[in-house]
Amino acid sequence: MNAIGLHAVGLLGPGLDDFDSARPILAGDAPLTSREVQVPPPGLLPANERRRTTATIRLALKVAEEATRDADRGQLRSVFASSSGDMDIIDRICDALTRPEPVVSPVQFHNSVHNAPAGNWSIATRNPAPATALSGYNASLAAGLLEAATLQLAEGGDVLLACYDVPSMESFIHVRPIHHPFAVALRLGPVDKAPWRLQLDLGGPATADRCISADLEALRGSNPAARALPLLERLVRGTPGNVTLAAPLGRSLNIRIEP
Amino acid sequence: MPTHPGNPPATTRSASMDPLVITAHTLTSAAGTGIAANAEALRSGTSGLRPCDLESVILDTHIGRVPGVEAITLEGALAPFQCRNNQLAELGLRQDGFADAVAAAVERHGADRVAVLLGTSTSGIAATEAAYHRRDPQTGALPPDYDYRHTQNMFSLADFVATRFGLSGPAMVVSTACSSSAKVFADARRYIAAGLCDAAVVGGVDSLCGMTLYGFNALQLVAARPCTPLDRDRAGISIGEAAGFFLLERPSADATGPLLTGHGESSDAHHMSAPHPEGLGAATALQQALVRAGRRGDAIDYVLMHATATPANDGSEARALVRSLGPNPRAVGTKGLTGHTLGAAGAVGVAQALASLDGGFVPPTAGLNTLDPDLGLDARSEAEPRAVQRVLVNAFGFGGNNCSLLLEAAP
Repeated sequence: MNAIGLHAVGLLGPGLDDFDSARPILAGDAPLTSREVQVPPPGLLPANERRRTTATIRLALKVAEEATRDADRGQLRSVFASSSGDMDIIDRICDALTRPEPVVSPVQFHNSVHNAPAGNWSIATRNPAPATALSGYNASLAAGLLEAATLQLAEGGDVLLACYDVPSMESFIHVRPIHHPFAVALRLGPVDKAPWRLQLDLGGPATADRCISADLEALRGSNPAARALPLLERLVRGTPGNVTLAAPLGRSLNIRIEP
Repeated sequence: MPTHPGNPPATTRSASMDPLVITAHTLTSAAGTGIAANAEALRSGTSGLRPCDLESVILDTHIGRVPGVEAITLEGALAPFQCRNNQLAELGLRQDGFADAVAAAVERHGADRVAVLLGTSTSGIAATEAAYHRRDPQTGALPPDYDYRHTQNMFSLADFVATRFGLSGPAMVVSTACSSSAKVFADARRYIAAGLCDAAVVGGVDSLCGMTLYGFNALQLVAARPCTPLDRDRAGISIGEAAGFFLLERPSADATGPLLTGHGESSDAHHMSAPHPEGLGAATALQQALVRAGRRGDAIDYVLMHATATPANDGSEARALVRSLGPNPRAVGTKGLTGHTLGAAGAVGVAQALASLDGGFVPPTAGLNTLDPDLGLDARSEAEPRAVQRVLVNAFGFGGNNCSLLLEAAP
């Protein structure tokens, strides 16, 4: 595949409030102080819409807003990648369905679709460009990167990738142990004027790279979106590098990074 | 189209987005198991809808239930995938020689060069619904035999299909509600153009479950009688299930057949569960599909509409058609045959379009009694036998997620 530009990053995870403030941690110059993740309300949505959002939508929109701060949000195409989608709602609806006379909330139902963050994003940014939502289980980040890169290469312009998963609710924590919310967004575009140039190569089976920092490595396996951490560590180091992520079906995604 | 350093010039890129050939396909829906049965139902307007008889759902509505799904047992490496969605996928994959066609594509291209790009809205959620009924009464724990990863997780469908055929190309599940299995056709074009693969298994599966039936019922979008798209008295949707799969490749001496020549995608940016009243997003998707194929609106034989049979959806989509194609465009709604198969709706529409290209007929709108005059469409209740060259297929979903595809007869 041809190279693409990476223009901006959004980030939220335990001890990682946004990409800029997390740079010293990602660079290994400051310790990771893990704490509860606070997801701010989505600033771009009108108040009545904001009230109807879910934790999944708020998580996705937080990093999407951050990565598009300096972009034309009304134009760019978007890819929303998540392993599991809105498990809180699935939990509530499946619970409701066990009642003798099941009642499903209409708002919960329309927010249950995997593309609820994508729909809210297009509404919040009044953006008529195509938006998609996908899953690659634990390799959703690599699947999302390939989707966003092929969109960029096919038509040019900017493409937003947001990758996120909310923690599993109590009844699911044993079957799907995701304990913290985590989200990352990458704004891809033309290689000119991009702070980083990425060369993606879908390779055969290979071991995914670990994080350089032991603290971050402990987070990496905790959420499918946290698989981005080895990539983010290499982005902030300002030197050329390679990182290998797990791709779906046992493949690997090798990313060559050139600042 | 902007150019970028390091990328091939635009001319090379547009050449690499040449049409793809559909070298094999299969469809299983309430209207029939396999493409011959579905084509016959399409031509004759024979509905597969029946009163809701799902054990877990007590609602006064009709459903498009596929016979024989429950009898499918997934074995060996496929056993963990056992759930209604993957059972329906398996039933579909056994039809029409599709498995042999995939095996031949693997011979031609290699297993790692065949992508698996599939759509679903609810994946195997029926397995989770069943597991919730069997929670431990004391602890609330889910039963130990419940396998989230291989059933309800969104990626399960692609994982299942890849495992069944031994494929290891790029893989994902697109889940954009009712446009899911249309958008994967656009993805296949981009993936092949980018050199990620040489062929793609695309399509989608959605299966009946309590969540969608009770959910659409809560939104007051479900009809009691079988749905009647485009009819003056249409009263909402009937929910169905279906599995449709397609093998896409670049045209070559070995790869001939009908073509995917255009795709368009857009967002309404309007509302999560209501379409844009003027159909602006839908019109954009439709026009993009025409532009990418280099076709004018008058070259289209008819539009196979999304036409879910809710008053708002059909009205919005009709305005998009008139806006894009001019007054009184020829249009067909087919959900009276199959029900609204949600994430599989795009795949169902494409398979029906291929049946009409192959069989030489414009399908009737099944269930149509009195065409709604306010729609401004030319929709009919009888099939019209005539050569068909080009069909636009629409699939629109919650979140205002729109996709249109242009299918053309084999050259």
